[in-house]
Amino acid sequence: MLTPAEWEVLALSLRVALASVLLSLPPAIGMGWLLARCDFRGKLLVDGLCHLPLVLPPVVTGYVLLLMFGRRGWFGPLLEVLGVNLAFDWKGAVLASAVVAFPLSLRAVRLAIEDVDPRLEGVARTLGAGPWRVFFTVTLRLAAPGLWVGALLAFARSLGEFGATITFVANIAGQTRTIPAAIYTYLNQPGGEVAAARLVWISIGVSLAALLGSEWAARRSRRFGNAS
Amino acid sequence: MGRTAVPPVRQRIVTLSLRLQRQLSDFCLDVDVVCHESVTAIFGTSGAGKTTLLHLVAGLTQPDAGRVELDGRVLYCSTEGTNQPPEARRLGFVFQDDLLFPHLSVDANLRFGYERLARAERRFEPGQIVDLLEIGPLLRRMPQHLSGGERQRVALGRALLSSPRMLLMDEPLASLDQGLKSRIIPYLRHVRADLDIPILYVSHSVAEILELTRQVLVLRRGEVLAHGDFFDVASNPEVLPLLDAYGFENVLPVELIHGSEGAARCGEQLLRIPPCDRPAGTRLFIGVRADDIILAQQRPVGLSVRNALRGTITSISAVGATRLVTVDVGHKLVAKITPEAVDELRLAPGGQTWCLMKTHSLRLGPEID
Repeated sequence: MLTPAEWEVLALSLRVALASVLLSLPPAIGMGWLLARCDFRGKLLVDGLCHLPLVLPPVVTGYVLLLMFGRRGWFGPLLEVLGVNLAFDWKGAVLASAVVAFPLSLRAVRLAIEDVDPRLEGVARTLGAGPWRVFFTVTLRLAAPGLWVGALLAFARSLGEFGATITFVANIAGQTRTIPAAIYTYLNQPGGEVAAARLVWISIGVSLAALLGSEWAARRSRRFGNAS
Repeated sequence: MGRTAVPPVRQRIVTLSLRLQRQLSDFCLDVDVVCHESVTAIFGTSGAGKTTLLHLVAGLTQPDAGRVELDGRVLYCSTEGTNQPPEARRLGFVFQDDLLFPHLSVDANLRFGYERLARAERRFEPGQIVDLLEIGPLLRRMPQHLSGGERQRVALGRALLSSPRMLLMDEPLASLDQGLKSRIIPYLRHVRADLDIPILYVSHSVAEILELTRQVLVLRRGEVLAHGDFFDVASNPEVLPLLDAYGFENVLPVELIHGSEGAARCGEQLLRIPPCDRPAGTRLFIGVRADDIILAQQRPVGLSVRNALRGTITSISAVGATRLVTVDVGHKLVAKITPEAVDELRLAPGGQTWCLMKTHSLRLGPEID
C-alpha cells in the first residue's frame, strides 16, 4: 500500500513526534506546576519566555536553535565533547519540535493542575505523604486528563513542525525529512504532486488517529476508579 | 451503634500550647492559649479566624511568628527555627467538605495515610475503624457515589487511620442537613469515648459543641475572647452577642425524675420536659432558645406554661434592638426580650425574676457523662 519511501517518511515522523512529546512533557509538567502553584518574582517574565516559541515565527526559533546548538553555536563545543550531534540529525529535529510544542503542552498541563483542589494536596500532606508523593499520587493523577491533552497537542504540533526543523537541521532524507518536509520536497519536483497528495492523506490519517487516541485516554483517566 | 473491638480508654491529658500570629487581610490573628482538655471546641462567627487557626496548627499555612507545642513536642517555633512539615506533624485534619480523593475508592481513601505508617506506629486497624464508623458496605464504592453523611464518615475514618496525635476538625458537619448532623454526632462521641485522640473542633453551633465538650475557645476577629467551661464563657457579656447571632440556645443540665412523665430537676427546682424513655437519675442537657423564655415578676397563675424557674438577674446586655437578660436560676439562662419589657418590669441586675418556659419549647439534648 505504502511505498518504502513513504514508510520511511511516516516512521521518521512518528519517531520524531513521539520523542518530542517525551522530551517536552516533563519540563512542561514541572513548569506547569510552578506556574500553577507558586508565586515568585519574575513569574510573568518566565511565563512569557515559555510561550515565546508559540508566537515567534518558527524560522526564528529554528535559527536561534542553530545559534545555540549548531556546530559553531554557543553550546556546540559542549555537545561535541558529549558526543552529541544534532546538526542534520533526527535528534535535532526532535529538539526543534519539542521546543515549538512545549508552550502548547505547558498550557494544557498548567490548566489541569490549576483545576486540582489544593486542599486535596493539603489533606494528603496531613495524612503523612511528603510533597513528592502528593505530587505524583494526587496532583498528577487528578491532572491526568489534562496531561493527555497536552501530550496530544505536542504530538500534533510536532507532526506539523516544518519551519524550525528545516532551519535548524535542514531537509535530509531519512534523517530530518518528516511528512511536511517531504511534501514540500515533492511539490518542488516536477510531477511530484501525486506523491505529495498521498502524503497529505497519510498526514490526515495519522493526525485523526492521534486525536481519537488522546480523547480515549483522557476519558479513561477521567473515569476515576478503573485505574485504582 | 456498631460494636467495636477498641476497649474504652481513659482520656489522656493532652497539652496543646499555641502562640501564633498571622496577618490576615483585615485583621491579625493573635492567639496565646494552652488547652488541656481532650476535646476543645473553637467557637466564633464566620471570618473570626477559626479555620486559619487550624491550618496554622496543621502546618498548612505558615504563621508570621509563634510557637506550637503538642505534649512537649515542638511542631513550630519561629525563634528556634523549627517548622515541621504537615506530614511530620501527624495531625489528622477533617475539612468542612470531606475532600475525599475522587480517584480512589473508599477503601483506598481510608488506607491512604495508614499505608504510609510504619507498622509500629499504627494505632488502629482498618477493620476497627470501619466497624466503629459503620462504613463496611461502602468500601468498594467511589466517593462520588456516597451521600454527604457517608463521605464525612469516610473522611473521619481516613484521618483516624493515619494514627494522628490530634484530630483537627473544621466544621465537619456544616455542610450536612440537621437530620444527618444528628446521625454523625454519635460517631464523633464514639471517637471521643473509645479512641484516645484529642480533638480540636471548630464550629459555630453551640448545640453541636455541647454534644462533644464543654471546653470552648471563643475567637473574635483573630483574638481569643474567652476560654474555658462553656457555661462560664456563655455568661460573658462579650460572648453573648456572638452566640445570639445564631439564635442563642440556652443549655441547662437536668436530672430525670421520671422520664416517661417528663419530670426533671434542675438544681432544686422542678421542670416539666418532653417525655423520654430514659431511666430516672439520667443527667442530660436540655436546650431552650432565648426567644422562648418569658420573664415575669411573680409566679403566674392561670397560664398553660408548666415551667417557672426563679432566679436572680446577673446582667442585661443590649444587642441591637433587643436586650439579653442573664438570669441565674442555679445555672445561667439568657432571655431575649424588648427594651420596653425591661423598663416595664423594672428589670435590673440583682433583681429577682421568674423564667417561664413551655414544655414543648424545651429540646432534649445529649446525656451528660
